[in-house]
Amino acid sequence: MSSAVSEISDLIARTALRDRQAFRELYRLTSAKLFGVTFRILKDRAEAEEALQEVYVKIWRRADRYVAGAYSPISWLVAVARNHALDVLRARRPRNDDLDAAYDIADPGPDPERAALAGDERGRIEGCLDQLETDKADCVRGAYLDGYTYDELAQRHGVPLNTMRTWLRRSLIRLRECLTA
Amino acid sequence: MSVNGDSDSGDASGGDSTLVAEYVLGLLDAAEHERVRRRIAAEPEMAAEFRFWQSRLSSLDEGFAESPAPAGVLERVEGRLFPDAAAARRGGWWDSVALWRGLAAGSVAVAVAAIGFALMQPRPLDPDVFATQLVAALQAQEGSGVEFVALYNSATGEVRLTALSGQAIPNRDYELWYIRGDEPAVSMGVIPVDQRTEIELGPEAQAKFEPGTVLAVTLEQKGGSPTGVAQGPIVAVGTATPI
Repeated sequence: MSSAVSEISDLIARTALRDRQAFRELYRLTSAKLFGVTFRILKDRAEAEEALQEVYVKIWRRADRYVAGAYSPISWLVAVARNHALDVLRARRPRNDDLDAAYDIADPGPDPERAALAGDERGRIEGCLDQLETDKADCVRGAYLDGYTYDELAQRHGVPLNTMRTWLRRSLIRLRECLTA
Repeated sequence: MSVNGDSDSGDASGGDSTLVAEYVLGLLDAAEHERVRRRIAAEPEMAAEFRFWQSRLSSLDEGFAESPAPAGVLERVEGRLFPDAAAARRGGWWDSVALWRGLAAGSVAVAVAAIGFALMQPRPLDPDVFATQLVAALQAQEGSGVEFVALYNSATGEVRLTALSGQAIPNRDYELWYIRGDEPAVSMGVIPVDQRTEIELGPEAQAKFEPGTVLAVTLEQKGGSPTGVAQGPIVAVGTATPI
């Protein structure tokens, strides 16, 4: 496991050096995971495929921002894919402000992927989620893994929108307390 | 709505903390998302909350099941990133600008200091008035503590390299590379960290050495990478800038 992790970390570093062979190998090793991410969030095969393409373009261009050792390379890659898929979802939703601008700006961002941490916290969040009521924990997972909005979560759980907001915010406060305890 | 005072999980920071959690979960609409993104970029407390949530929630990544990617995606990615020279009207140049923009921005302060440093070296410059001089500050990556300044003089075709910090590592060597656009890194040879080095560039390398060319140092096995392709981690990197 850890040798696979360090292999991927190496491949990202070599991708930053414009090593196309390394990039190809990185794709071979990680594209199934990242397609799993874009497909689960976008729920449409063609869109997920197009997103995957954009994600690897970003990975090539941003590989230099990945800091080996400090972060799990898989988490970093998943963050790139997940953030891109969420950007696509957000851009698709009807809004009266300038979507294109927001979408463009979302790109060079404050480097969200940087914060994808190593695995030593793994498992802890599951324990903390288990302390929430099942359907509230499901809401947190649904937002993270499926990209559900408050609206969608409210519909899925059959509660009013405001109730869902309150539920989830309370859950996040409790989650933070548990994670920092 | 600026700073939220003390850290801890008191009520006051609960609001911002929850807001950042919603941001990481992707629950905010486009306008709100953008607003929070800017705050994270500007406010250290928000940035800390962001790192907290992003790192903890990333433990859920295991919930994403693998699913084989459709055929042809990699080919399309490569077609976009590495277009043939003929087809590449808008090819590598913009790509490389976008790619290295962040690095270059970060290097400016060091580069300015480096210019002063480089000019202090008592070496007479070639009087050729049209000589181009480029400086690159190679900043440490991944906490390597390895930093170099490189000064290139087109009149002599020579790169002078000075280590600002860094330690020799037993049985390993540092290797210098130049990277132009999306082309693969080209080795400039193994370099010592405890003395100044002068590297004479061949005609081909001279032609490619220009503002925007990136210099990178990797840690390789003794004697340098045997394959001509960097294998070790990048320990320092910087972009050549005209003096």
